[in-house]
Amino acid sequence: MLKSGFLGKRLLIVAALAAATAATLPAEAKTKITMMHQGTADWVQTYKQVAAEFEAANPDYEVELIYAPHDSYNEKLGAAITAKQLPDIIELDAPFLANYAWSKYVVPISPYIDPAILADMTASNVAQGTYPIDNKLYAIGLADSSIVLYGNRKYLEQIGARIPTGVDDAWTREELEAVMAKLAKVDGVKWPLDLFRGYGIKSEWVTYAFSTVLQSMGCDLIDRKTWKATGTLDSEPCVKATKMLQDWAKAGMVVPQSAGTNQFYAAGNPAALAMGGHWFYAEAQKTMGDNIVVMPLPKFGDKAVSPNGTWIWAITSAAKNPEAAGKFLSYFLASKTLRDQARSQSAYPGLKSFAASSPLYAPGGAMAVAFDQADKTAVARPPHPAYPTITVAFMEAMDTIFNGGDPKKALNKAARKIDEEIEDNAGYPPFGTK
Amino acid sequence: MSASTLLQKFGWRRLSRLEIVQLVSLTIIAIVVVSPLIILVVASLKPDRFAILADMGSMRAFWVDDPTLNNYREILSFDGALPFGRYLVNSVFILLTTVTGGLLINSMAAFVLAWGQMRGRAVILSVLIALYIIPQESIVMPLLVLVNKLGMSDGFSAQILPWMASPIYIFLFYQFFKQVPKDIVEAARMDGASLFRIYWSIFVPLSLPVMATVTILLGIDMWNQYLWPMLVTQSDYARPISVAIAGFFGQDTVFWNTAMAASVLMMVPVLVFYLFFQKWFMNSFAGAVKG
Repeated sequence: MLKSGFLGKRLLIVAALAAATAATLPAEAKTKITMMHQGTADWVQTYKQVAAEFEAANPDYEVELIYAPHDSYNEKLGAAITAKQLPDIIELDAPFLANYAWSKYVVPISPYIDPAILADMTASNVAQGTYPIDNKLYAIGLADSSIVLYGNRKYLEQIGARIPTGVDDAWTREELEAVMAKLAKVDGVKWPLDLFRGYGIKSEWVTYAFSTVLQSMGCDLIDRKTWKATGTLDSEPCVKATKMLQDWAKAGMVVPQSAGTNQFYAAGNPAALAMGGHWFYAEAQKTMGDNIVVMPLPKFGDKAVSPNGTWIWAITSAAKNPEAAGKFLSYFLASKTLRDQARSQSAYPGLKSFAASSPLYAPGGAMAVAFDQADKTAVARPPHPAYPTITVAFMEAMDTIFNGGDPKKALNKAARKIDEEIEDNAGYPPFGTK
Repeated sequence: MSASTLLQKFGWRRLSRLEIVQLVSLTIIAIVVVSPLIILVVASLKPDRFAILADMGSMRAFWVDDPTLNNYREILSFDGALPFGRYLVNSVFILLTTVTGGLLINSMAAFVLAWGQMRGRAVILSVLIALYIIPQESIVMPLLVLVNKLGMSDGFSAQILPWMASPIYIFLFYQFFKQVPKDIVEAARMDGASLFRIYWSIFVPLSLPVMATVTILLGIDMWNQYLWPMLVTQSDYARPISVAIAGFFGQDTVFWNTAMAASVLMMVPVLVFYLFFQKWFMNSFAGAVKG
């Protein structure tokens, strides 16, 4: 009797403890997904809303958003990497993908993304998210980007310039220079062309925009087979291309850096042409209305080339549940809320279904030529782990060149800096061996 | 009536050439210094970013045709899309807590180093002075790991605790405390006052000028902090205004209108504080430079 009473008490205590423990734990632990992102306040609000919608549709999941301002995002991501606290999903700038993939911070994404979304990607979107070593897709985005040539309709009509309607009849270098020479004499035109030097000398814009000129004229930032910059970046076509840009600057043909980035649409329209990103359309159109002509980038050399790449999404190697991360990303990319926000910002479509519902880029739309250009002429920036060094070296070279330095010497210095960085990392194997 | 008689009548005098040059120079410098602030305020009253961009670089940047407070209305909420009210409150809370705690901790540490009885005070003081040369950036990573391990990230404590104590402020207090005559401390001890009582009742009231200097220097430091709060905050909960303003500068879009309004809001408390405590500011900087 005594024994059974003692046992009964113990059982009672155990049962009470079990009940108390059960009461303090949630009925079922939720799957947590962490996502690090950048963006302006409107995008941040959209991401919050999409996360809330996902949680409402999938009550077993919880999404935690980790934000950093655009200009400090890489510092925050770098700190998370060093502190070994990478979230499940990260946003990254496309040309830096190879660096992250080589460092094994991100994993191939295709197994985790809805096949319908993968099939919906444009060729340029696939290119910006692909790691060349294994040709696998590591990142995906709703959007992409491009540069077009904007023209002031009134000025162009005044000089009787031919207005190209598609990639196939883009201006050649000679035509562009002839148009610029004529525009320079038009009343009100202070600078025939804006190359957006106002974005600054340490802006990714420099590489994004001017590497296409190099590629169009037959060279590149680096040889994409041997992954050596010397002999490519400082080759004769590159020297010729950068000399051309320098000559324009020296002759007062392009908007100087100090004049900002608004000279195309500022009062009096001092700049007649603008080689600007797709995002520039909204700014210019607001002030200029129908006085803007959107043209393809000129064919500076033998082939037409346009840039691509924007901020895209990847699943990290730290994700304990990549399936859950993929489930959220698939929901995210298909979300109407996200697409409405992207459309309101004239985002350049990276998914075909998004393009079809974006009147600006659809056939007949004001920016249709930009979308057409991406399919036919887009070239991604070099997908190599040394890209952070490549872009900085090229920015420094362009700064020297625009300020009157010797193009050959500046490009050679940049090429050597890039090659030294690659050599210091033993060639970033398997790059250079495949 | 000649011009010189007229000047004399109003008690004015003719300026020497040197004074004219000085006046013109100072006027030019004042215009150069004040112009960006005028552009900032004017831009914050323009209807949208497009209007600001269109006027930038011309004299129209100094003028607004149809002033509006919409940019301020848009950002001054506590839980909307742009909860700047919340960010502002966060910044003020972080500043006040850090400064209050900083005054206590730094002055107490300095008092113990100056008048305490423990051994090795000179060594500790030397180490503290040596710590001053270590830049904040170099300790950010280990500090971040520590803060995360303690589960303090994305909160206020992570932004407050690491910056309360500082070698430079301890040293400022130490220098001041060391100058207090020994007789005062001895007399208090003979009256039976504890070390804390001596600190609280004698040294704290005496050290108001140093307190003001530390308040101003630490306050400005905290108000303008960017790197650290950017690294440790993840959501709106504890984000300060300095980090929030950077959110208007995007990949290819800058919301100049709201960025300008937010910058004005961030600047106003500092300006008001400066106007009221101008003399203290001057003394603080002069003192800090002199060491």
